[in-house]
Amino acid sequence: MRRFWLIVLVVLTVVSFAKVKIQFWHAMGGWRIEVIQNMVNDFMKLNPDIEVEVQYVGSYEEILAKLVAAVQAGTPPHVVQLNEISTQKMIDSGVIVPVQDLIDKDPTFDVGLFLPQVLNYYRVGGKLYSMPWNTSTPLLYYNKTMFKEVGLDPNNPPTTFSELIEACRKLVKKDDKGNIVRTGITWPLYAWFFEQYMALQNQPLVDNNNGRTAKATKVVFNNQAALNFLNFWNTLTKEGLMINTRRADWTAARQLFISQTVGMLISSTSDVALLMNESKKQGFELGTAFLPLPDGTQRGGVVVGGGSLWILKQKKQAEVDAAWKLVKYLAEPGPQIVWHQATGYYPIRVDAIQKLLVQGYYQENPHHLTAILQLLTSVQNYNTQGAIIGAFPEVRNAIDMAVEKMLTGALTPKQALDEAERNANKAIKEYF
Amino acid sequence: MRRKIFPYLLLIPTYLVIVFFIYAPAFDALYNSFFRVSVFGRRKIFVGFQNYLSLFADKDYLYAVNFTLVYTGVTVVVSIFLSFFLALLLDQKVPGSRIYRTLIFAPYAVSHVVAGALWGFLLNPVVGHVNYLMRIFFGIQTHWLTTTPYAAYSLIFASVWKTLPFNIIFYLAALQSIPTEVLEASIIDGASSWKRVWKIIFPLVSPITFYLVIMSIISATFQSFAIIDVMTKGGPGIYTTNLVYKLFLDGFRFQKIGLASAQNVILFIVMMVITIIYFSYGQRRVHYQ
Amino acid sequence: MRKSTKRIIKTIVFEILLITSSLLMFAPILLAIIMSIQPPEFVFSYPPRFFPRGLFLQNYLEAFKIVPFARMIFNSALISIFITLGKLVTGSLSGYAYANFVFRGSKISFYVLFATLFIPAEIVLIVPLFRIVSRFGWTNTYWAMTVPFLASATNTFLMQQHFKTIPKDFEDAAKIDGATPMQYFTKILLPLSRPIIAGAAIINFTYAWNMYLWPMIVAMEDRMKTVQVAINMIMNAESSNNWGIIMAATVVALLPTLILFFALQDLFVKSLVGSGVKG
Repeated sequence: MRRFWLIVLVVLTVVSFAKVKIQFWHAMGGWRIEVIQNMVNDFMKLNPDIEVEVQYVGSYEEILAKLVAAVQAGTPPHVVQLNEISTQKMIDSGVIVPVQDLIDKDPTFDVGLFLPQVLNYYRVGGKLYSMPWNTSTPLLYYNKTMFKEVGLDPNNPPTTFSELIEACRKLVKKDDKGNIVRTGITWPLYAWFFEQYMALQNQPLVDNNNGRTAKATKVVFNNQAALNFLNFWNTLTKEGLMINTRRADWTAARQLFISQTVGMLISSTSDVALLMNESKKQGFELGTAFLPLPDGTQRGGVVVGGGSLWILKQKKQAEVDAAWKLVKYLAEPGPQIVWHQATGYYPIRVDAIQKLLVQGYYQENPHHLTAILQLLTSVQNYNTQGAIIGAFPEVRNAIDMAVEKMLTGALTPKQALDEAERNANKAIKEYF
Repeated sequence: MRRKIFPYLLLIPTYLVIVFFIYAPAFDALYNSFFRVSVFGRRKIFVGFQNYLSLFADKDYLYAVNFTLVYTGVTVVVSIFLSFFLALLLDQKVPGSRIYRTLIFAPYAVSHVVAGALWGFLLNPVVGHVNYLMRIFFGIQTHWLTTTPYAAYSLIFASVWKTLPFNIIFYLAALQSIPTEVLEASIIDGASSWKRVWKIIFPLVSPITFYLVIMSIISATFQSFAIIDVMTKGGPGIYTTNLVYKLFLDGFRFQKIGLASAQNVILFIVMMVITIIYFSYGQRRVHYQ
Repeated sequence: MRKSTKRIIKTIVFEILLITSSLLMFAPILLAIIMSIQPPEFVFSYPPRFFPRGLFLQNYLEAFKIVPFARMIFNSALISIFITLGKLVTGSLSGYAYANFVFRGSKISFYVLFATLFIPAEIVLIVPLFRIVSRFGWTNTYWAMTVPFLASATNTFLMQQHFKTIPKDFEDAAKIDGATPMQYFTKILLPLSRPIIAGAAIINFTYAWNMYLWPMIVAMEDRMKTVQVAINMIMNAESSNNWGIIMAATVVALLPTLILFFALQDLFVKSLVGSGVKG
């Protein structure tokens, strides 16, 4: 009898040693932590020889800093989610295994089913370095109930800047002392929206075809298109038609919309599921629409945002293989659909979207479809593929700072653009 | 033989720590400050003093220096004077002063993070009590944490609140050890209370003042990181970014190791200068047991 | 008659000033405690409330759900205790060396230690300290959060100065009795220093418990972070506007040191003044 248990013990030990252990770091907080853990648990059930330790490491900025530390300590995670603007940095880092290399070696994986718009962002020089995962674009959310209340047509959301300004004016509500208790719109103070509006007006951010045919050497956004957006932002702020948040305060912007302090919100499509739930709880009808454009502009396209999964070099090939398996799994239609439904990030493969269409999912959840349609109707060129800049985070920072100064009145929109251009160019020059 | 090495053995634990975790980092920062380092640390180029030069030419860095001076200066001045007066008050033989003492000292036990969170709440434009009271009494409303002058004021409130107890404790101890004969002599000389305070008491506690100024500078410059991170995150823009916060951003958000190392060295030097000034002039620090 | 009414007026004025000042100083903490036990409607109500109504512990429970709060409290406690012990041990050992022994290099080493007196490495040297700690592979471990702080010049000097006040006769008597220096240390010197050690313990514990920047940088996972960092995390989470929950976390973060302070106020103050410790 004792010998039996000894054998069992030995077998169990051997088996547990045979498991490949990998680490997966991500930046998706809140309710998404559980969603991801469940998906990974399903993966582990299908792959009993792989054990995945999932960690929510914090924001995208934090995850990069911690990644650097882990790499220097010699214990890098195997799969790490980084935001889209980290692309050039990671390509230059020398610590990754380009996903393209793994795809080329793996005949079972077909990249052809993926949305070209998404692939085109993450493909640099024809090579796919990371696996797109949580993909989003910006969206206009609006409060249909509130629209009805102030006499706006809930089925005809604003499509141009002037229409939006008009709508905001109608949405403003003041109390008896003259203080504003409700106003038109909000969006997080973040350069991502600036980038989107450049792409929507079919303009690049940096030279060399948005950094895609050669490394970017300077920014090229100091033009009328950018001014259109900044003037718009400035006007809304000055007239009290919009509430501005702290930098990158997505949560505050969402809260303003959910609490019905504003009637419209520009945010990421990844908020769709959350806003659908919250609007139900608050008792108002949610509406979604494409982003409005400057008057008289022809629609260019939106740039994908969100993040992708990177595989890091490891000493053991078995770990890299296991990491690849996890990344492939998360890109499969099943997990993509689960992820899509739980958040609003859209499925990046055509077959997943088809499946949902056939199931009638989008008839019941039209908001999930709006973002996809906006992406599919985007013109495809270097401008809408998104910029590739090594110092992208610093460039965003430069834009954010300049915009903040504009909003406090310290700079005019043109001055803000000049300053953003100066600081962004400086950052690009210093990129190493 | 054992007798001889015994003291050295006693010192080993302490020295292990300070060599590895204070001196080694200081030299590491010094070394790296002369290089440009890639994000993941794999590539290094020697650039001599360029990092330092670019810092001094950087508008944002110079702004951080300026803001550090202003923020620290105001906090220290306000804190020192307020604490002196509160210590004088507490020193009076007023019934219940023991309870007041306990309440007034309380913020010392609390962390800078907590101070930031508490004041972040009080100064919140919507749910905070400060704006509500200001509305009632003065009819004005401000966005404390997100607009230009007020963000700095908010930080200063929190910092002063946090540094007051420490200063009051020391002033109180100093006041209580002033020999009563000195005070009585001044009363006999016909000095008014106000004069007494300024011409006699304040000069008598000047060594304490000196010490407290140094400590408050250190607190307001370095430990205020938590207050800034919790209340304004250095914003709006870079309005409330001081040297420590800028170091944090460059080192940990933008991975500019070389530049951050240079900033680290500068901060380290600033600290050493403050320490040297203190020890050169502050030998009159008095002990109270 | 005049003089005593003047005195009475003076006392009343002082009393009023003191009441207002102490209330103002304590108000933020008090409000935090009050708000932490109020339901969201009361926390967000406008005009803001000043007095509590009822007891609502949900905020605390929510805090435990948003972050691994229990584990973080454990982290803070473990780290604080370990650092306190470390500082006391290294401080008393090295203080003993400087106070009771004459040896070559004592002056130089003293100055080497001295030079670090006001340098809070966890703030002034974050970048290189982090690199060194990474190279040891200590990121995201308790080691990184404790070992760099196991010694401090302040503790050494505090103990040294106290030991110096112990009359040499004790040491001579011990030598005659055949005690080794170590025995003298443990059996006589330390017991005589109980109040100093207790005071230093309180101050070290408070300092360690209140650390923020360093634990935030060094911890990679939520479950390794400390209570102070939790406040920031909760403020940036989805519930960023739920001040009730934030205040609950704040109360947990401030309670241990506040209680310590209230209970041992005199010892606290005495040690603070005696050691001249950084605020």
